[in-house]
Amino acid sequence: MDVRVVGIFIARRLLGLAVLLLIISFLVFSLIYLAPGNLVDVLLGLGEKTPEVVAAIRQQYHLDQPFFVQYLIWLGNALHFDFGRSIMLNQPVTAAIAARMAITLFISVYGFVVAVVAGLVLGTAAALKRNTAVDRGAVGIAIVGVSAPSFATGLILLWVFAIQLGWFPVIGTGEADFGDRFWHLTLPALALGITGTALMTKMTRAALIESLEQDYVNFARSRGVGPLRTLFVYGLRNSLIPIVTAAGLVIATTLTGSVLIEQVFSLQGIGSLLISSINNKDIPVVQGTTMLIAVLVVVVNLLVDLCYFVIDPRTRMKGALA
Amino acid sequence: MTAVLTAPETFVKTKRGRRSVLVGMSLVIVTLVIFCALFQQFLTPYSAGTQDLNNTLAGPSLSHLLGTDDLGRDVFSRIIVGARSALIGPAIIAFGAMLIGTLLGLTAGYRGGWYQTLVMRWVDLMFAVPQLLIAIVVVGVLQGSYWEAVLVLIVLTAPADTRLLRGATVAQRNLPYVEALRVVGVPSRRILAGHVWPTLMPLTVAQTFLNFATSIVTLASLSFLGLGVAPGAADWGRMLAEGRDLVVVNPWAAIGPGLAIALTAASMNIVGDWLLERLSSRGRARA
Amino acid sequence: MTGHEKLLEVEGLQITANVDGESRTLVSGINLTVDPGETIAIVGESGSGKSMTARALMGLLPDGVTVRGNVHYEGTQLLPGTRGRRLHKDFAMIFQDPFTMLNPLLPSGRHISETLRDEKGRRLRKPAARAVEIERLAEVGIQDPTVATRYPFELSGGMRQRVGIAATLASNPTLLIADEVTTALDVTTQAEILQLLKRVQRSRNVGMILITHDLSVAFSMADRVYVLYAGQLLEQSPSSRMLIEPLHPYTRGLLDSDPPLDHRAATLYSMPGSVPQASTVLHSCPFAARCAWAIEDCRTAATPLREIGGESGRSSACIRIEEIRGELGLVSEPSTADASGSEVGMSSSGAFLAVNNLRKEFSRGGRRVIALDSVSIEVAAGESVGIVGESGSGKTTLGRSIVGLETPTAGSIHINGVDATNYDALGHGQVAKLRTAVQMAFQDPYSTLSPARAVGPVLREALRLDNPQASNADVAELLKLVGLPASYARRKPAALSGGERQRVALARALARKPNLIVCDEIVSALDVSVQAQILNLLKRLRAELGIGYLFITHDLAVVRQITDRVYVLHRGRLVEHGPTGQVLDAPREEYTRSLVASVPQNTVTLL
Repeated sequence: MDVRVVGIFIARRLLGLAVLLLIISFLVFSLIYLAPGNLVDVLLGLGEKTPEVVAAIRQQYHLDQPFFVQYLIWLGNALHFDFGRSIMLNQPVTAAIAARMAITLFISVYGFVVAVVAGLVLGTAAALKRNTAVDRGAVGIAIVGVSAPSFATGLILLWVFAIQLGWFPVIGTGEADFGDRFWHLTLPALALGITGTALMTKMTRAALIESLEQDYVNFARSRGVGPLRTLFVYGLRNSLIPIVTAAGLVIATTLTGSVLIEQVFSLQGIGSLLISSINNKDIPVVQGTTMLIAVLVVVVNLLVDLCYFVIDPRTRMKGALA
Repeated sequence: MTAVLTAPETFVKTKRGRRSVLVGMSLVIVTLVIFCALFQQFLTPYSAGTQDLNNTLAGPSLSHLLGTDDLGRDVFSRIIVGARSALIGPAIIAFGAMLIGTLLGLTAGYRGGWYQTLVMRWVDLMFAVPQLLIAIVVVGVLQGSYWEAVLVLIVLTAPADTRLLRGATVAQRNLPYVEALRVVGVPSRRILAGHVWPTLMPLTVAQTFLNFATSIVTLASLSFLGLGVAPGAADWGRMLAEGRDLVVVNPWAAIGPGLAIALTAASMNIVGDWLLERLSSRGRARA
Repeated sequence: MTGHEKLLEVEGLQITANVDGESRTLVSGINLTVDPGETIAIVGESGSGKSMTARALMGLLPDGVTVRGNVHYEGTQLLPGTRGRRLHKDFAMIFQDPFTMLNPLLPSGRHISETLRDEKGRRLRKPAARAVEIERLAEVGIQDPTVATRYPFELSGGMRQRVGIAATLASNPTLLIADEVTTALDVTTQAEILQLLKRVQRSRNVGMILITHDLSVAFSMADRVYVLYAGQLLEQSPSSRMLIEPLHPYTRGLLDSDPPLDHRAATLYSMPGSVPQASTVLHSCPFAARCAWAIEDCRTAATPLREIGGESGRSSACIRIEEIRGELGLVSEPSTADASGSEVGMSSSGAFLAVNNLRKEFSRGGRRVIALDSVSIEVAAGESVGIVGESGSGKTTLGRSIVGLETPTAGSIHINGVDATNYDALGHGQVAKLRTAVQMAFQDPYSTLSPARAVGPVLREALRLDNPQASNADVAELLKLVGLPASYARRKPAALSGGERQRVALARALARKPNLIVCDEIVSALDVSVQAQILNLLKRLRAELGIGYLFITHDLAVVRQITDRVYVLHRGRLVEHGPTGQVLDAPREEYTRSLVASVPQNTVTLL
């Protein structure tokens, strides 16, 4: 294990991450200028349009400065987690986000866990029992999960389980306690999880099938290595890289999918904040929430890459970066 | 976005190697949807916009197979009409992305060097951020129309194809036959176009279908959020958003379009896998 | 040698594959026995079913493949076993490819100790496990205890093969099945591993079944040899007898097709035709279509192995063997040794190809690898020169540098007077000229042709580079030149056999009418009988067209057959060179001597 190799890798990736976020922030910032409509009117919102107010706005948003300077000012503030004030909500953007983070994170993580567990189980079962009903069923679920839009499945779940059967509440996020929240948010999380399950099932199945076809598995069997150890140490462990990659994709999917799901289930999360701020042209909020989601996804990707180091010893060796 | 849904051979082949029932059904559905898109005038009992304010939120009946929505419009007809916007955009997206992806991926994979690095850096950048998010923000802030959404999605889908084709090209480039052709003296352009591309053709066709399927869903997601379509348009995503509020009274106003999206996308996926299976086995080497 | 109990008795083994609802017989009617301490070899070319037989005996058949028959081990019937489990815990199998045999994520030592249990049936604790690992590694010749903690990718091919053998020995098997264990290794490593196997077998008194396509390996290692062809056994004999007097036309053909190391044959014997599918010849002699002695009965009735009267322990499936054994005769006297060209030195007109002090460095994973270190060779016009070496010798790099697929770090290459050291620096026209001077053929027949294009268009494309009017007639002529019918122009590579694909590859190279063809291991991946066909083709082309070859190979017997002079490379350095016969018969350098000595000879003296 060469610490230098790992260290250089992390340094490179962090640098790449910084560059990436910089580019994204630039694009996000520039969006205001591309939006149709007079910028000042947009920033004014519903207030009265008087010369003093206009001047104040021009002052507040540095609209008289060159574009690039405005960007740098904005970036400086962003690095202090200051994205300005929300026009429609009349509160600091960060406050608005903070109030809603919990719900989005909850359903994302919940959906992620469901997807990973279900996907691993289904994918493994399918790989072990190829060409049987189990395999066909699992692959069928995979296709449906990938094809059916999460908002459609969310709606169906809502209708069947909440409205018709009444097993789950239709609206609300559950304030009482963790268990209550859990129950309220199960349906949205499941809807999010279905697409993720499809991804995980497909990747796990494919990776496991390939691993189990390798010579080293046959050699292990010929030496009397038992079926359990063969499955876990020779099959799954050697499939970890694609599986972890898929898990990373799943998180990215659940994070962004929450935008849609929150609409279906009327949840006050980051996703619905983003949508309403887009519809209301609340630019500062748009910028803030986009940056937040982007940062989350990018960090997840980095974590996934770091996992590779843990999984595969070949990546840790000198010269592995070549 | 991982590449082709690698063919689950469980589906596309029955024991006797013939086309499985599922593939058959998918082909039928795809044909049906295309038919609806092309000939909707002859198929719809009502026009998409005809309102009947006396008959709102009715359940399914003989005159309205899937009932009516809150403005009394026939859900069934609107679904048929929606087939057009559900197919045209995705078709252009899939094709456009594949065109760009093939050009960039093939040339980058073959040439290598700084050109390849540049292209792949761009791909990495595009991949690093969730595409749906970008699409929502861009189309939303710019208040784009359907076609602007299509354009944005072409740009967002192309990186996946580029990455896929570059990887495949690099794999081919290191194979003896490419080196042999270079030594024989065949110019690079001809090697790429006449030898590498035909070998990769099954992959690109399958990927195009996959793009098609995912674009259907993505475009529908955008319209569900109110982006890219006018309110009241007979678009499946939009109908689902509007139908959501009516789900207690006439669930079919939402379930109908929902099923339409899911079935069309799923069928496209299956047909794509089947094509991959069919096209690659023709070139398969003898053991 | 033998006790009274046979170790293994196989009767009527039949293996069937069920694919897409159709069932195809792969192997049928196999009877064999192994005594304790005995080594038997199963020899066969590709398509013979030998690997399936080995897998069936281990109980490791792939999905959809079933086996029937009797397998008696120490008196007990083992079939049918449980799918996914080995047939008996006393059986062990050593695999072919050391690079894929070990789990890349497990330290080498784990492979040895992971299946071991203590007296109470629990997994061994670390210290005990480590002790066993070190002991087993020492048994296979690895004295360095740290190897146990290293991962497979940190070890060489030979080391990995030894680790694999140690892992199979951990459970103290009584029967070892070695499936082509040396095919992926160099000749010197191969010799070491075979020696190791012999040593292990003697010290543990285990039975061994050796699966191989290489007759010399079989004869040097086994007490008795079984010959397998298209799923049926054709002959069974003690090695010493089979070597001198084969009792089946196919065995005779195999022995004849093997290129001799000690002399050069004017033409190599090659059996006409190719191996049929096992399922098509179940009720006849599988070799009948290619046999010079076949009569009608051979084609209509099944031909099981039967004991040959008057010969203890020899069986043959040939129904005519008693009458034709005289004709089959003893393995032939060396066919007229080819004296032509064996003494060719440098022609006075100067070298066609001159490589001077060529040096090539690679940086692999941060380290600098020197592939070629000041290598100089010369090839005269029309000469056939060999480059011999093991893996890592730089021979392939040399060949690739000559045609511009690699650019040397230092030194020079001159082709027909033109400086061809750096193809990238040359103008378009100059490169085009070079392409009509030197061409190349590659090793792997299965990836040397574009999979998506038919043969005709590919050849026409090559021809059109020099003659824009090239037509289908020209393509047909080119195909004829390499011994293929004109109708092959319509075929895609998937419809061609390995040998046929190499012919097409040669045709493609010949389209530019080169003066020299660099042949990079072009017969190494082919069966012995097909190899002989291609070598004969090369000889014919040289006689008809006057082209020269730079023949790169690791196989000394092959290089003897086809080259006038030879250069020996070792780790990037030129070790020795001279007329081929001279270098092989009387090597001067230590390395060359060890190379020649490592080639398994058709002798029964055990290594």
